[in-house]
Amino acid sequence: MKSETADAHAAPLADVPAVDDPLRLADAPSEIAAALSAGAIGGAAGRLGRRLFGRRTAVVDRIAFGLVLLLVVVAVVGSFARPYDPFAVQTSSALLPPSSAHLLGTDDVGRDVLSRLLAGAGLTLLSAAAIVVLAAAVGIVVASVAALLPRRVDEIIMRACDIFMSIPSLVLALGLAAALGPSMLSIIVAMVAASWPSTARLTRGILRETMSSSYVESAGILGMSRVRLMLRHVLPNSLDAIYVQASMEISGTIVMISGLAFLGVGAPPPSPDWGSMIAEGQQYITTAWWISLFPGLAISVGAIAFGLVGDAVRSFVDPTARRSS
Amino acid sequence: MNDAGALLSIENLTVSLPERERIAGRGGDLTLVDSLSLAIRPGERLALVGESGSGKSLTARSILQLDPGLRLEGSITWKGSELLGAPRRVLQRVRGGEISMIFQDPMTALNPVLTIGEQVAEPLLVRGVPRRKAYARAVEMLDRLGVPKARERMRAYPGQFSGGMRQRVVMAAALVAQPQLLIADEPTTALDVRVQEQVLDLLEEQSRELNLAVLFITHDLAIVAGLAHRVAVMFRGRLVEEKLVDDLFERPEHPYTRGLIGSIPRLDLDPDTRLTTVEDYLVLEGGAQHA
Amino acid sequence: MTALYKFVLRRVGLAALSLWGVATIVFVISKLIPGDVARVAAGRLATADQVAHMRELLGLNDPLYVQYAGYISRLVQGNLGTSTITRQSVVGDLAAVLPTTIQLVLLGMLITVLIAAPVGIAAAVSEGKAADIVARIFLVTSGGVPVFWLAIMMRWVLGSILGWFPISGTNSVDGGPPTVTGFTVLDSLLFGTVGNLADSVFHLILPALALSAPFVSTLARLIRSNMMTALKADYITFAISKGVPRRRVILRHAFRSALGSVLTVFGMQFGWMISAAVLVEAVFGLPGIGSYLYRAIINQDTFSVLASVLVIGFVFIATSFIVDLLQMAIDPRVRRAQLGAA
Repeated sequence: MKSETADAHAAPLADVPAVDDPLRLADAPSEIAAALSAGAIGGAAGRLGRRLFGRRTAVVDRIAFGLVLLLVVVAVVGSFARPYDPFAVQTSSALLPPSSAHLLGTDDVGRDVLSRLLAGAGLTLLSAAAIVVLAAAVGIVVASVAALLPRRVDEIIMRACDIFMSIPSLVLALGLAAALGPSMLSIIVAMVAASWPSTARLTRGILRETMSSSYVESAGILGMSRVRLMLRHVLPNSLDAIYVQASMEISGTIVMISGLAFLGVGAPPPSPDWGSMIAEGQQYITTAWWISLFPGLAISVGAIAFGLVGDAVRSFVDPTARRSS
Repeated sequence: MNDAGALLSIENLTVSLPERERIAGRGGDLTLVDSLSLAIRPGERLALVGESGSGKSLTARSILQLDPGLRLEGSITWKGSELLGAPRRVLQRVRGGEISMIFQDPMTALNPVLTIGEQVAEPLLVRGVPRRKAYARAVEMLDRLGVPKARERMRAYPGQFSGGMRQRVVMAAALVAQPQLLIADEPTTALDVRVQEQVLDLLEEQSRELNLAVLFITHDLAIVAGLAHRVAVMFRGRLVEEKLVDDLFERPEHPYTRGLIGSIPRLDLDPDTRLTTVEDYLVLEGGAQHA
Repeated sequence: MTALYKFVLRRVGLAALSLWGVATIVFVISKLIPGDVARVAAGRLATADQVAHMRELLGLNDPLYVQYAGYISRLVQGNLGTSTITRQSVVGDLAAVLPTTIQLVLLGMLITVLIAAPVGIAAAVSEGKAADIVARIFLVTSGGVPVFWLAIMMRWVLGSILGWFPISGTNSVDGGPPTVTGFTVLDSLLFGTVGNLADSVFHLILPALALSAPFVSTLARLIRSNMMTALKADYITFAISKGVPRRRVILRHAFRSALGSVLTVFGMQFGWMISAAVLVEAVFGLPGIGSYLYRAIINQDTFSVLASVLVIGFVFIATSFIVDLLQMAIDPRVRRAQLGAA
């Protein structure tokens, strides 16, 4: 895959390889080699981390990483330090506009919007992370098992994934969460159930690509068992691509969680999750716009930042993707 | 060099890649073709020979200014008027109508989602020739180039053609508007040997019948002999030798040319003779520094 | 022609398999409902008799496979049960609300393509330049903003504050067109006045605009990246060397060949947009499947929710079926891949 994109990139100048900066050309093989030599999850992750914060990072990416870092800090700090109790109902101070006392105003029952926003940050990020990690885990297991089983079974499993994917994931998650009853856990379960098929499908594709590489083939010829081959070579060497895929899912997951909460299948009312806050503020929008505005901004900033980080992670792993992202 | 009867004359053409276009964005401008001069007369077949990276393709592409990222200096005159820096309108008129070009890989030179008919007739269509007439001319041209059942195949897509047939289609599209110069950029490299020969024959035949000048770009000296009147040899962005074809083979002057000629396997030599390689020249020149 | 016939047949089989699969998934979900399913199915306000009747109807005392068979056979007969809220058949309810959603989604698709195509093309043509960067910022933003929030904000700013657009419903209070097809736009066109038509479209613009935001982002980014690949292709250089004007090179040569996966995604967006419409309709009070679903959730009418999920899944499958056929009609590359070399 890498060499192919590299070729495509050089194609218009195929006649003059010298045009390409020698540094860059020298980089390509070592990069591929590095990708191939990564032995374990930690290795791949560490390397990715180093590249993400390295000197060559673009400004947009730095801002995006900064925002994500900020969100995480806010979520951690916000989980114990808040100006007010996010659940304390105080009707005397209901619907107050933003002021020095309440930076982002108060809602219809007098709760401080900023405090609720802070309390909701951890909830949102944790559940998004849980969903993405669990869906990826289920996807990896299903894809690896499918890859090890006979062709026919593999095909049947993938076909089943296709069928799952023929219900739009929002709707599937909605139905499932509605059936399970309103709680944060049911949103997580529903979202994982709705998103693992596409993860499995994509992971299967990644594994197929890794398995067709010549070093895996030669290890196979050397007589390594299929299971061992999968665990020692195929999976570790597919991790980069799997990370990329997972990192690109976070943004959409954050938006979808809030959508489900907005529709009322999330955590029941006093919960400070951002989607529910928007729903609660909706009817006051003309008089107390701050109740809905700020949680929505928070979701947007989170989704955009994670989206940019996803793009960045992808372009680090596959530098040629940047130009076409 | 400045030939009054020349159709196209290139003088001191320098092609470079500006620093900002380089991938690393540093390292200064990169000179790819260095003050090259060349001229072609009407009906003449000139071969431009050199190894990959010698700048021969870039020179050819520069005539029609196909690489907007490159900086072109010097002068390229077509029938007495300057092409470098000419307005887009003028370039569009010259491209396809007076000078056209065919490329190395006929598999990628045709748009997979447009019909053969549209692509062959296109040079006429964009010049305002009525559709019916343009398509009739396209059929004629395909016929002429030996595409069987041309009329029916106008509505086919490139994917339904073999490599050799596609190169014929490409040639038809290039010749349909009756240009006076055809630039053929390694037109046979991607084809298998038997098809290569057919395409070369076709090229020569068209050139003779239409009094079409041909600038033939290749890295393969062996196919030049039967085709070209004159040969120009490029090495590392410079023109190192230019001669009538017979002279070149008999009296190659430049060591690089000698290396090239020596590398062609010949039937009339002792089978034990070692073929030379261009590396021999590099070594002579202390060429390691180039690599 | 036989190859085409076989392809269509295979595709029909696949669609049927998907329909069955979706139905089965929904059945499984209904088995996950905690507590007394008969009570859930009968509704919160049901009497003990009604619950008992529902238990009988659903065959909850029967073995699982009998229940499943009963469910499938009810489904084949077009029976999705009765809503505990409206006391009407769910199929009838959904048939009444679906037109509103479909016309909203169609308008959303139109807006999506009208914005995404120029933005994507402009960005690709000016790769790396200012226009490209501005386009990317716009696309990243429109892709990250949650639709329901965007809908609320647009309704507030453009509707309430500026008063440019109506803030809810499908028609002004005094006199919509007569309801014939249920598609207010179509009804206005066929049976109403010009005023009706303008009014109907006008009511849909704001929701459709909000709805299209994330889809514009996806589609324009895809167009941009496909166009960038296409613009670097050899056939573009060849076209330029034939003297083809820039405009035609971009729109006819590059855009035409960039269209392949764009059409697939655009087609699939119909289905995704129906699910996103759930979020937008609730905000604008449009009586579509989204509002229906929203009301069902609020009222814990779980079986109506599941029936809506089923219907949306069916629409989605039907869409992808049509998209595949259309794509084959349009793209010779796909045609060849599917039918073998002609």
